Amino acid sequence: MTNHWIDIKNADAILIMGSNPAENHPISFKWVLRAKDAGGVVIHVDPRFTRTSTQADIYAPLRSGSDLGFLGGMIRYILANNLYFKDYVVNYTNASFIVGDKYAFSDGLFSGFNEDKRAYDKSSWSFVKDGRGVVKKDPSLTDPRCVFQLMRAHYDRYDVKKVSEICGTPEADLLKVFQSFAGTGTPEKSGTILYAMGQTQHTVGVQNIRAMTLVQMLLGNIGVAGGGINALRGESNVQGSTDQGLLFNSLPGYLPAPPASMPDLKTYNDKTTPVSKDPRSANWWSNRPKYIASLLKAMYPGQELEEAYAYLPKLDDGKDYSWLSLFDVMHNGGFKGFFAWGQNPAASGANANKTREALAKLDWMVNVNLFENETGSFWKGPGMDPAKIKTEVFFLPCCVSIEKEGSVSNSGRWMQWRYAGPKPMGQSKPDGDIIYELFLKIRALYAKEGGAFEGPIKNLNWDVASGNAYDPHKAARLINGFFLKEKTIGDKTYKPGDPAPAFALLQADGSTCSGNWIYCQSYTDKNMAARRDRTQTPMQEKIGLYPSWSWAWPVNRRIIYNRASVDPSGKPYQPDKPVIEWAGDKWTGDIPDGPWPPMADVEKGRYPFIMNAEGFGQFFGPGRNDGPFPEYYEPLECPVAQHPFSKRLHNPTALVFKGPREERAVCDPRFPFVCSTYRVTEHWQTGVMTRYTPWLLEAEPQMFVEVSTELARLRGFKPGEKLIVESARGKLWAACIITERIKPFTVMGQTVHQVGIPWHFGWVYPKDGGDSANLLTSSVGDPNTGIPETKAFMVNVRKA
Amino acid sequence: MTIERRQFLKLSAATAAAAFSGLGFDLKPAFAKAELAKLTRTRQTTSVCCYCSVGCGLIVNTAEGGNGRAVNVEGDPDHPINEGSLCPKGASIWQLTENDKRLTSVMYRAPYSDKWEEKPWDWALDRIARKVKDTRDATFEVKNAKDQVVNRVAGMASVGSAAMDNEECWIYQSMLRAMGLTYIEHQARI
Amino acid sequence: MSGKSFFIDLSRCTACRGCQVACKQWKQKPAEKTANTGSHQNPPDLSAATLKLVRFKETAVGGDFKWLFFPDQCRHCLDSPCKLASDPVIQDAIVQDPDTGAVVFTEKTKGLDINLVRPVCPYDIPRVDPVTKIMYKCDMCLDRVRSGMLPACVKTCPTGAMNFGDRQDVLAMAAKRLGALAPRYPQAALIDARDVRAVYLTLYPVRQYHAFVQAAEAAPGNFSRRSALALLGGNAPRTRT
Repeated sequence: MTNHWIDIKNADAILIMGSNPAENHPISFKWVLRAKDAGGVVIHVDPRFTRTSTQADIYAPLRSGSDLGFLGGMIRYILANNLYFKDYVVNYTNASFIVGDKYAFSDGLFSGFNEDKRAYDKSSWSFVKDGRGVVKKDPSLTDPRCVFQLMRAHYDRYDVKKVSEICGTPEADLLKVFQSFAGTGTPEKSGTILYAMGQTQHTVGVQNIRAMTLVQMLLGNIGVAGGGINALRGESNVQGSTDQGLLFNSLPGYLPAPPASMPDLKTYNDKTTPVSKDPRSANWWSNRPKYIASLLKAMYPGQELEEAYAYLPKLDDGKDYSWLSLFDVMHNGGFKGFFAWGQNPAASGANANKTREALAKLDWMVNVNLFENETGSFWKGPGMDPAKIKTEVFFLPCCVSIEKEGSVSNSGRWMQWRYAGPKPMGQSKPDGDIIYELFLKIRALYAKEGGAFEGPIKNLNWDVASGNAYDPHKAARLINGFFLKEKTIGDKTYKPGDPAPAFALLQADGSTCSGNWIYCQSYTDKNMAARRDRTQTPMQEKIGLYPSWSWAWPVNRRIIYNRASVDPSGKPYQPDKPVIEWAGDKWTGDIPDGPWPPMADVEKGRYPFIMNAEGFGQFFGPGRNDGPFPEYYEPLECPVAQHPFSKRLHNPTALVFKGPREERAVCDPRFPFVCSTYRVTEHWQTGVMTRYTPWLLEAEPQMFVEVSTELARLRGFKPGEKLIVESARGKLWAACIITERIKPFTVMGQTVHQVGIPWHFGWVYPKDGGDSANLLTSSVGDPNTGIPETKAFMVNVRKA
Repeated sequence: MTIERRQFLKLSAATAAAAFSGLGFDLKPAFAKAELAKLTRTRQTTSVCCYCSVGCGLIVNTAEGGNGRAVNVEGDPDHPINEGSLCPKGASIWQLTENDKRLTSVMYRAPYSDKWEEKPWDWALDRIARKVKDTRDATFEVKNAKDQVVNRVAGMASVGSAAMDNEECWIYQSMLRAMGLTYIEHQARI
Repeated sequence: MSGKSFFIDLSRCTACRGCQVACKQWKQKPAEKTANTGSHQNPPDLSAATLKLVRFKETAVGGDFKWLFFPDQCRHCLDSPCKLASDPVIQDAIVQDPDTGAVVFTEKTKGLDINLVRPVCPYDIPRVDPVTKIMYKCDMCLDRVRSGMLPACVKTCPTGAMNFGDRQDVLAMAAKRLGALAPRYPQAALIDARDVRAVYLTLYPVRQYHAFVQAAEAAPGNFSRRSALALLGGNAPRTRT
């Protein structure tokens, strides 16, 4: 989230699209309804009418997978009707940037596409620079090669009629949503967008979010109270686990994992540190060398920086190591050992049959969980013969969260400390203890026997225990970081062991360590995440800011990009809900995105989007793998042979795999219905925790499929009867729920039925609960993130 | 300093017995059972819900004597986001915790076996460490096909976990990268 | 005696079922074995183990589709027919707390016939444990309320659908909320506010939600239920306020 949960109450309009917060983030509705009480408009765009829709002022149905058409239509509507916030667009976004002559777009393809590689050469997606190396701009936004005009031309195709044809959303509903949300394009109004996996689990997932960002920047809704692009994350610490670098491509703090082409730290710094020639751009990532050095020193304090860097494993350049690729390699027998730690991939990963087959190719697997689950017990699952499966499995029991101490980071980036209540039950242990003890054993084996590349094993900083037990406070201090050598900065001298007060003081020379620079300041002289102080200034009270309750990254900033909430002189665009305000010599309110004065100060002022090298919000995003502007493509399984925007049916760069488990259905009469997966309030993720919680299982006891009354009539379905739902990859049974909340769509002139299934069930427990929705989904993914397309695929539904 | 509302809960729990006898209620036997007694000899800790990412505050009451188990979990009224409220998942964390279906000892499935066997921690961690080392040593790649130095292990992968605390995630990534894994993924990807 | 009351604002209910589960948690009520029979409503009905149940209903109001939710529970009638009907059989098997007004079933209800007690309830609330024969329903979390805590269902409610407090304050809150909603929802009403301590605010005609929302609107032909309050001494008009 750019903003945070309480901030939702400040919105004049709330666009909920690709999420179902009343069901999946129920407490968010405390704040949605407070916005509504204050006159805010709630808009829900979703294939199904859900518990969220019941509170919406406007509900607009759309076919799963057609979101980009809808959003492209909204962008066009805003531009065509001049509803954008012009000062914001000119001052704070790259709308005025001049794009180079070689950039082009034609019939669904951007310049530089290589059909064989299914990839773009992005070099033509670049800006024109002047003699100083600063991007050329046209603040009048009239130059035909400026981003604004290119964007206008790009979305000119997305008229309401075409959008309605492909999304199945009635034109009147489209216009109602566009008109209502575009009303926040005036300076004094704000609108927020709340999205979740309904936007990301597509082969155009990143571009869906980009399209939302374009809308929000046009309307001047980024950085303001009641605004922002707000990802409603699905797990209590999925924000934190991502921050801490548990992804192949990301070290802690979003530092890129090094590829083989960067053999030493100097090369890494040279190649990954962005440069801006514009003196008014803060270009915050220019600090990268300080952050990587501090991370290396946190992991290997006794090593020189270059040696520590050499210890980091290197990726092959351009190769994908993400989830779907990981299980593809496993399916091909590429791994001997596997950790499924606090996760249940046999039910949660797309194309579950492939995942389950892959697990049988392993020599050994470690499965850490609270309960028996479909991953740890895959060898006795449906269709498996244990006598033929070699995989040795270790199930290690971890404890529940209220039995241990440590911090989690919520969607609003609040890092919150948890204390232990009861002791871990039985022989279960905190994950931290298991990790700690396991690595000691591995290290001891290396000490005794020697082995491959011992340096990192021998020298890894494992000082995260007190006595013999893992100590979360010690790990938290290391993540925050401290000085390793005496260092004088300004008029203050820091001694070895002194906590780093904030990331601005981290050093590139190895004199500081910090396990994660964005968490620097979280554990200084005190544990900031544990704070429980509700104190607010009157200004902070206006927008529900609690700066002394817990701590938020970065540097306790609660609304990021907040320098865009003020005009160039530092006055809030929305005086009744100010985020920050320039008081002549300092900022008041939230922690600003950097201490510099407002932009009107020509010398010292800085542009607001400090994480982008040029300092501007990006309408034109040259870094994406599938184009600088979001463009419409159908899901890789879809009910139509063409769409109105180009002749490219699918995202030409989507992540795909070859093999027997990779069949896909496009306009295939065997699989005529669009299907989407989702969650219900009463269960969580694969259900490993909630299926075993009797009060929750009682409320939602079994796998179901929701079908429209029209489809039920067509196929003779009865409420509650067991139906078979099947795709090109698998099938499952589900109890039939016949509902008026799903209606057939008219798409390109034909009737398209939509059905939906939850993904909370699995064969292990309860025995009559059904199995995972992911048996049906396919291994195709977004070309930027690799996130699987589990929100739109084709199925058949029939009587059992 | 303001008195936190949750302290009121604590106070009221502690004084429940007094309230029952002192306020002149006409106590009929059936509702004089004083279920609040379950909160009287308990200590309170704060936590944060383990489910979605809203980050709702919890108050956990744990028995000070007896088996030392949790007796009640509900919303933290001081918490500025949830203000004491909880959805059904949050409201059932007590049952998630005090749950007889939890696996609370190490289980092992031998190759080609059709059953789980209970094992001691030390045995399991020793054996896993052995597997890790053998796999790492056997599949370690100093260089890739292009002859670039990569110092990585090819034969192991990891998924997980957003269910762990920040500190645990950090030391986990630290361990995995020290071992040389590149296939490091988790819930954020799916 | 003014006592306590609930205000249940259906305009804010999102059917998250926090109340349904929080009730079970505080009361340590067991889960029932359920199946998906084509509805999200589960358990299918109130029972000795389920004292608070969110009912789900898909319906149409004036041709517009609505998905309505009804978090059902005992209304804690000021003059409760269940008590009036059962006292002559077993005195104080059902009691009323003089301070809060909570109507509470005691263990002595095992001597009562559910076929006497349930039909006289205008809201169809009482249920019996098939094994112990003790009758159960919401007791207003009297133990919590006596200690200054909110009932579990109210405490947990995220949206402000469930409210609780001194009766006068609660009625004032309900009236204010009705006033705010009335322009947009001309059919909005407070149900049986003068007679009960769990006052529901409905946006649409009561039968759209559930058969037993309002005393006077009980199922046709069910004479005892429809007229229970009148027969058993209630004298207030049974119309919406």
